Amino acid sequence: MHQATRRKLLLALLPLAIAVVFTQSRIDPVVADMHRGVKTPFAGLSTEFILGPLLGMQQAVAGLLWVRADEFFHEGDYDAILPMVRMVTWLDPHNLDVYITGAWHLAYNFTDSSERSDRRYIPAAQRLLEEGDANNPTVYDIAFELGWQNTDKIKDYDRAYYWYKKCAEERKGADERGEMTKPVPMFVWHQLAHSLTRLGRIDESIDIWRKALAMSMKIVREDPKDYSKRNVRDSERHNLELMLKRKYSRYTHEIDWALDSKLPSTTDPNTGEPSARDLYVFKSAEEARQKQEQYRAVGQNPPALSVGQPRPPAVQPPWETAFDVRPTFTADRVLELKGQFNVGDGARVTIRLHDENWRPPQLKAFTFTIDQSVTLMQDQHSVRQGIWGRKIDMSKDPKMYSFTSDRYFLVFEFDPRGTSPFVQDRFGWSGEGMTDRKYLTVESQKTPPNRILRKVYRITRAQVLRRAPITEKDVFPADRYAELQRQTP
Amino acid sequence: MAAAVSIQGLTKTYLDVWTKTEIRAVDRLNLEVEEGEVFGFLGRNGAGKTTTIKMLLGLIFPTEGTATVLGKPIGDIGVKGQISYLPEEAYFYEGMTGWDMLDFYARLFRISEPERSKRIQKALEDVYLDPSAWRRPLRGYSKGMRQRTGIAQALINDPKLLILDEPTSGLDPIAHAELRDIIANVGRQGKTVFLSSHQLPDVELTCSRVAIIHQGKLRTVGKTAELTSGDTVEIVYKGGDAALLEKIRKVVGAGEQSNGLGRVPGVAPKDTNPIVDLIRGAGAEIVSVAPHKRTLEEVFVDTVMKETGS
Amino acid sequence: MVTLAIAKQTLEDMLRRKILLILLIVAVAMIALGPSVGFLSPRESSAVLRSLGLAVILLAGLLITVLTGIQVIPTEIERRTIYTVLSKPVQRYEFVLGKFLGGLFTVFVMLASMGIVFLGVLRYQEGRFSPDMVMGVIMTFFQMMLLGALAIFFSTFATPVVNFFMSFGLFIVGNLSSVTESLLENKNVATRAVATLVHYAIPNFGNFNIQNKLIHPQVVIKNLNMFIMQNVAYAIIYSAVLLILAIIVFDRREV
Ligand SMILES: Nc1ncnc2c1ncn2[C@@H]1O[C@H](COP(=O)(O)OP(=O)(O)O)[C@@H](O)[C@H]1O
Ligand SMILES: [Mg+2]
Repeated sequence: MHQATRRKLLLALLPLAIAVVFTQSRIDPVVADMHRGVKTPFAGLSTEFILGPLLGMQQAVAGLLWVRADEFFHEGDYDAILPMVRMVTWLDPHNLDVYITGAWHLAYNFTDSSERSDRRYIPAAQRLLEEGDANNPTVYDIAFELGWQNTDKIKDYDRAYYWYKKCAEERKGADERGEMTKPVPMFVWHQLAHSLTRLGRIDESIDIWRKALAMSMKIVREDPKDYSKRNVRDSERHNLELMLKRKYSRYTHEIDWALDSKLPSTTDPNTGEPSARDLYVFKSAEEARQKQEQYRAVGQNPPALSVGQPRPPAVQPPWETAFDVRPTFTADRVLELKGQFNVGDGARVTIRLHDENWRPPQLKAFTFTIDQSVTLMQDQHSVRQGIWGRKIDMSKDPKMYSFTSDRYFLVFEFDPRGTSPFVQDRFGWSGEGMTDRKYLTVESQKTPPNRILRKVYRITRAQVLRRAPITEKDVFPADRYAELQRQTP
Repeated sequence: MAAAVSIQGLTKTYLDVWTKTEIRAVDRLNLEVEEGEVFGFLGRNGAGKTTTIKMLLGLIFPTEGTATVLGKPIGDIGVKGQISYLPEEAYFYEGMTGWDMLDFYARLFRISEPERSKRIQKALEDVYLDPSAWRRPLRGYSKGMRQRTGIAQALINDPKLLILDEPTSGLDPIAHAELRDIIANVGRQGKTVFLSSHQLPDVELTCSRVAIIHQGKLRTVGKTAELTSGDTVEIVYKGGDAALLEKIRKVVGAGEQSNGLGRVPGVAPKDTNPIVDLIRGAGAEIVSVAPHKRTLEEVFVDTVMKETGS
Repeated sequence: MVTLAIAKQTLEDMLRRKILLILLIVAVAMIALGPSVGFLSPRESSAVLRSLGLAVILLAGLLITVLTGIQVIPTEIERRTIYTVLSKPVQRYEFVLGKFLGGLFTVFVMLASMGIVFLGVLRYQEGRFSPDMVMGVIMTFFQMMLLGALAIFFSTFATPVVNFFMSFGLFIVGNLSSVTESLLENKNVATRAVATLVHYAIPNFGNFNIQNKLIHPQVVIKNLNMFIMQNVAYAIIYSAVLLILAIIVFDRREV
């Protein structure tokens, strides 16, 4: 090669190098965007799993780790799963199932010897899901799971509503071609409606059902042969009907209401909505007409009303619940409860025992290590024939119930919003139909305000260890307790 | 006639990694090879033959000096099309068949079909490679067959200059003889052959001119006939007695007698007449006065010995 | 034509290598056995199957590329076949390019074989074609092209063993571009300068990994075709740089 050729080649390298830098500078941001949430694969990984990530095979390694984690799960080696969840989500922050399964595992699978959940893991489960959702902000799956955990496990319906709403209104699903174009499944809307019901926001809930029904009507029109889609539509219609009936049954005392099951149900062919005629039945045509007049008098459009057998309104306040409970430590860390509650069978009382200064922790980032010194016990018991009783033995699980604190709160609660519909039929969605001489507390910060029952004891470690009895002198003001709980530690 | 190869002051030094000393593999070499001659390039193992050839082909680069091949400086692509090379202990692509290998090399010479196939066929025939082996992988070839294929590879471009580096080493006697014939044949076709070897009888038989290189330096160069033709004569006579032999020995210091024949080797020109006179004077009969012919081997050993001083 | 002749010879020679064939067979077997790994949900099954398949193709492609790239030129020198080649009217750059192209053809044949098996397995498992997986294989091919050019460049001056570690090492470092990229925002000026240099000078292999996108539908690349074209361009331009360097070094190489 001549000197001149060599020089030319060397000169040619310059524009090429510039082109390399330029091209890479165009690619880098796209890649950074794609890998959002990926952690560099060093921290805490065993060597066999390091090579893969280094070579650009994060997803495969994550997949294999997760398959392994599943084996641990079936072997019951729960503690081994958490670090694996952490690794897998670092390596492949788009593996939705890992967040969902991992969080489910955290929230549900750690229990004491009587199968009571270790609720100290719940904030971690929530943070894991939130991290996953932040890494996958277009998909509905993780947001939905957040909604579900808040509904089912935590019973924080405000947060459940927040996530379901996000899920239904902002998220999409993957279609067959792998594009994020598919609308979220209808069950997301159903859960959104349910969460509104739990919040006592009945009209909004009914609106969502109407909206869902309209969507399903359209879906069925496009694909009339799909049985499951028709099924979804029918269940929406049923839910809407039930909500309407309950609403009028519970709150609209002036309107006579007839047994719906005896009447043929007709639906509006356009909206799919059950017609009002099927919902409100009057003794005579005249009565119905008068009722319509009343509507007009207050400037409202009257529903079409039909005639039939009358029935008294369901919610008739005040209903004295005579809620009370007597806790005794019958042995060291063994709590026995005897309670009374004038309510239908199946209503559940929540029992909670925790350190005096425990608050729901505000985790900034997901961590699977928890503060083992915290004691937090939560249980539920259902009422039969006005009474209930329970023995809670916390002596066998010192890891969960360390009782290292000096003072504890022992709380008994009934929340009408979390209870079953047949109890709500008596008490209303927000406890409007219930009253109690001693333990009624109104959560007025909520809209609409919620009427709950709550009895709180403040007890000492000595009492837990049965060195001293619990008496009614230990009862602590319920409002004050709620206030303390709202304060951040 | 133009020079096929012309070398001026060509030098190649290597650094011995172990002793950190400089090895002069080729040392200020000057050499001219005429077009059309079969030129023998002689030297012991390690004399610098291969190094010289590699420099001529541009495989390695001279430390000093220049050379031209077919009138062009080293590395000229046009020239490379007209020369060919069979490396010392050549290795080939073992998985290829003989035919495919030649096809590959023919492509490197930019020979296109149908000419390529014709050339391949002719080259394989020229080296007498058994046609049943043409389509078999080289892996199954004997050493002789490989070497023939190697020569065929060197003939594929109908070169003006062939550079063969020890082509006959390691062959059995028959393969050896056959290969020698092939090379001689090439020479007769008017091609220039640059044959590096330490197989002296081969060179003597095939080369018109030789150069002897030792420790990187050129020691002798000349026509084979001239180098081997001596300047002494050998006189053979019949009859004569021991006294005659004694007289002869006094003059030339050599001589022997057996079966009635006396032999006087290595007689210098100035001594020829006095010795003949002596023999005749003694009544013996001159059988022959013949010029003595050295073998190339003797020349080689002499040359190399002179250098090493032993 | 000379370049292509050398490329063809190289391809045939590499395809005769047992080690490469064994690698190919093992990889194909692993891809075919992919569906037998136990899974938790259909979505995971699909993701694991895809990520495993792409990973096996990448890993096998990686070994094949490195083994090919570090060998093609040194083998010629070691077997002394290079003497007969370079003494012919062959420019040294033609030799380097021919060897590079031959290696590239080899990698292409191998990747294509694995890719076809992979698509077949997906087709069999899921009952439909997954054309997007072809994109993954294409990206791997260009990634390997860049790696091959790197190995060829190293092979012009380093021994195969040294080359093996250098090529692999740079591949790993080149996959960690996120680390150097994060350093680009470092407050320390010196750190930033070094990081910038390293980030742009080292071939960025990590940018070719689009498994993330291919496995998870929710990962969006705004303009996928553009992205792929940019990466292809990057691979070609950077390979050209490496090949020019290889040619310059090899031109003075004594064989
Ligand atoms: N690459 C090299 N490095 C160091 N020394 C070398 C190298 N090649 C050849 N030599 C030395 O140069 C001398 C000449 O070698 P060579 O040309 O191969 O001899 P010949 O071909 O005449 O047998 C030898 O002493 C040999 O050891
Ligand atoms: Mg030699």
